[in-house]
Amino acid sequence: MPNEIKTKDDSPVVKERKTDEAVEAGLARLTPERIKNTINQVLQKETGPRFKAYVETCMHCGLCAEACLYFLSNDRDPAFSPAGKVKQTIWEMLEKKGEVSIDFLRRAVHIAQTQCNVCKRCSMYCPFGIDIAYLMLLVRRICHKLEITPLYIQDTVNSHSATMNQMWVKEDEWIDTLQWQEEDAREEFENLRIPLDKEGADVMYSVIAPEPKFQAGLLYQAATIMHAAGINWTMPSSPGWDNSNMAMFTGDNEISGRIARTFYETAARLKVKRIVMGECGHAFRSTYDVGNRWIGWAMPPFEVVHALEFYHELLTSGRIKIAQKFKKTVTLHDPCNVSRGRGLHDMAREVTNMLCESFIEMTPNREHNFCCGAGGGVINCGPPYKGERMVNNRVKAEQLKATGAEVLIAPCHNCHSGLEDIVHHYDLNMEVKFLGDIIYETMEKKIYKPGE
Amino acid sequence: MKPWKRKSINRESKMKQKVIFMGFILFIFTAVYAFSNTELERLDNSVFEKPQRPSAVFEHDDHNEMAEIDDCAVCHHVYEGKELVEDESSEDSLCSDCHSLKPDQENSISLSVAYHKQCRDCHFEENKGPVLCGECHIKE
Amino acid sequence: MNAFIDFIMGPMVWIAFLIFILGLILKIVLIIKDVNARESYIYSYMTLKHSLRSIFAWLIPFFPQSTRQSPVFYSISYIFHLLLFIVPIFLTSHIVLVNEAFQVSWIALDDGLADILTVMVVLALVFFTIRRVMVPEVKYLTSTKDYILILIVALPFITGFLAYHQFFLYRPMVIAHVISGEIMLILIPFSRFSHMIVAPLTRAYMGSEFGNVRHAKDW
Ligand code: HEM
Ligand code: HEM
Ligand code: SF4
Ligand code: SF4
Ligand code: SF4
Repeated sequence: MPNEIKTKDDSPVVKERKTDEAVEAGLARLTPERIKNTINQVLQKETGPRFKAYVETCMHCGLCAEACLYFLSNDRDPAFSPAGKVKQTIWEMLEKKGEVSIDFLRRAVHIAQTQCNVCKRCSMYCPFGIDIAYLMLLVRRICHKLEITPLYIQDTVNSHSATMNQMWVKEDEWIDTLQWQEEDAREEFENLRIPLDKEGADVMYSVIAPEPKFQAGLLYQAATIMHAAGINWTMPSSPGWDNSNMAMFTGDNEISGRIARTFYETAARLKVKRIVMGECGHAFRSTYDVGNRWIGWAMPPFEVVHALEFYHELLTSGRIKIAQKFKKTVTLHDPCNVSRGRGLHDMAREVTNMLCESFIEMTPNREHNFCCGAGGGVINCGPPYKGERMVNNRVKAEQLKATGAEVLIAPCHNCHSGLEDIVHHYDLNMEVKFLGDIIYETMEKKIYKPGE
Repeated sequence: MKPWKRKSINRESKMKQKVIFMGFILFIFTAVYAFSNTELERLDNSVFEKPQRPSAVFEHDDHNEMAEIDDCAVCHHVYEGKELVEDESSEDSLCSDCHSLKPDQENSISLSVAYHKQCRDCHFEENKGPVLCGECHIKE
Repeated sequence: MNAFIDFIMGPMVWIAFLIFILGLILKIVLIIKDVNARESYIYSYMTLKHSLRSIFAWLIPFFPQSTRQSPVFYSISYIFHLLLFIVPIFLTSHIVLVNEAFQVSWIALDDGLADILTVMVVLALVFFTIRRVMVPEVKYLTSTKDYILILIVALPFITGFLAYHQFFLYRPMVIAHVISGEIMLILIPFSRFSHMIVAPLTRAYMGSEFGNVRHAKDW
């Protein structure tokens, strides 16, 4: 590493640039006692035998390195290997019993928040199944408690805390947006509705806040698909409509739990049979795997169905018919949170093949996919880190390029944005699409009636 | 002839042994070479089907002189069932007459265990003499 | 001197094995107690089926993707771990000692073969050492402790080999062998060698999270 300096005890500390104003402001507030107490509190009181086993069993064999896109994209720089990141954070915290420096913390927050997508690929490459993502989330937890979380992602958490959605969308704006989309969609389907707060509906459809904020067209598309498929559906008008959860990625577990609780309570209030969510990976992780645990449910209290699975159901049951298959060559990015996170990868292929004429696999794929490099809250740390995010996922660009496909399907919001950045940065000349985009484009715009 | 005496005895071996032992430490490889040319008095191990180790070095008379053993029956015991028969000795029979290669109904102590017990146990009790594999099974 | 040898080859072997076995049992008991006290929620995710599925998948050579990407290392590691158990358990000299003490015995390796296998173990350890020096991502994680661990495993094999061949200092070599063997056994429960029993637990947990919750494979 070119900009490496050695501290007295010879452990390498990379000279960190001061990238993030919130991190700097936070660091300026810290005292040695607070650092020490916080680290020890989290590492001793908030962990258990699992943490101990991970730290005490790791044989330092480096096999996990092969798994990590950061390591591979940075010419196999060991500082980016999974266990290497643990060494630079957790090991040193343990060794120094929490008495670490400001420089160390600046580096630690940088590593944990922006150099790991908590994608858990490495757990499939470590022979012991050590959960590095969990260890990185612990570092984030410490950084959260020290109030040195990067600015942009902290802002989304603040928004969650105040509004229960990620993008400071006000309640009337939310309802307005839905009504506006409903109005527009009625030009295609005369009787189309976006039913708000309909008690007892079969499906509560939920989305992430960026949809009403920047991508209202996606709400439009979803409404047409629901309408065409003849689904008895509804959307909540109150907070709880946003299923995203950035607090989950900053270690702010308390707010993360509040978000998940509000979400399920909204579904309970509407007495819906199940929850269908838009094409988002991390939101699925929050509502299917993480948020439920924090509020005491082993598995989610509602059936949570990712869009991918829902589309599969609509297509195989014939509720949606494809008028003409999509012509361009497509490739498919497996979002970690629904492939490695839920095993929907085979379904994703079936859906893609039902929609598209020519599908080209990228390798590695399925559970072994590389993350888009945006996930785990990395893209949400915002513009200060964008440049390195592009460098850090060169392997994805190479992988995409090798397919030669014209269209890249990314059934996850984070992936979609992250991959769009990659495609531009590396001049890949690919169109990035959601599955919903393609369904909307190819489906018969005829309303499903049972028996027809 | 007694079984442990079947091989010829090199009378100078005692002196030589000392020289060789020094040579061992100083010139390992030459020593190994020298050793391979030396004949030590060894037990006859021909009853063993596939001996894993060189047969044990045992210089009967020197041993008994040094250990001050006069009574043959100390080693050449006679058992009837589990009972040791006092005042009888068995120096005219082979160990393998009673101890077979595997423990059986008649005798629960196999031949190799018998040798090991006979020699090692005593060496431990007396706190003298060889007790480790290679101290008896010296490389040829 | 014989009295000392009697001690290290008698009572001390007992002590070493007791510490080794009880230590491992204690380790498991403490982990389970700690899980019950602090992380009992993991039981809602653990299933026997998915635990075993993952453990077995990882035991099959070249089945997990990871093993296919580092075939040389995994082959050597695989052979090393097998021999680590096979050589001492089926070694004639060890069986002879056990036989004399307990009147039990089992089939033994031919001494010549055992000798070759011992050399293979030592070579594997040399390979691990070289890898720690040469491969950047491994070097980055390596500290003195890692070399010491390798040395602790290597010593019983090296001293055993030297003793067997009676090259030099035979008696001290056997003594060193027995003591280093005992040290290794005693250290297993208290060092990272405890991966011997902790690894199946971490694998079982990850296997369950993947199989049961994530509906995905973890190999
Ligand atoms: C616990 C106490 C142990 C005792 C009392 C013991 C005893 C012995 C003895 C007496 C020998 C024969 C030396 C000779 O042939 O001259 C031997 C050889 C050997 N032992 Fe052990 N041993 C012990 C532990 C171990 C352990 C833990 C290991 C390995 C993990 C080990 C591996 C070996 C090897 C590799 C050889 C030599 C094999 C060869 O090159 O042929 N031993 N041991
Ligand atoms: C059933 C028992 C065991 C299993 C399943 C097991 C498995 C593993 C695995 C998966 C690794 C990681 C890297 C690799 O594949 O080599 C490893 C490393 C290692 N294990 Fe074991 N192990 C076991 C017992 C032991 C024991 C008893 C020892 C030593 C006394 C040991 C010594 C080592 C060493 C030295 C390494 C590190 C190699 C290096 O430096 O890269 N293992 N083991
Ligand atoms: S979780 Fe993913 S990004 Fe993080 S270290 Fe592991 S492989 Fe790399
Ligand atoms: S592969 Fe597992 S045991 Fe090896 S260094 Fe990585 S985390 Fe540690
Ligand atoms: S953004 Fe997509 S690829 Fe990346 S972690 Fe999330 S699901 Fe994985």
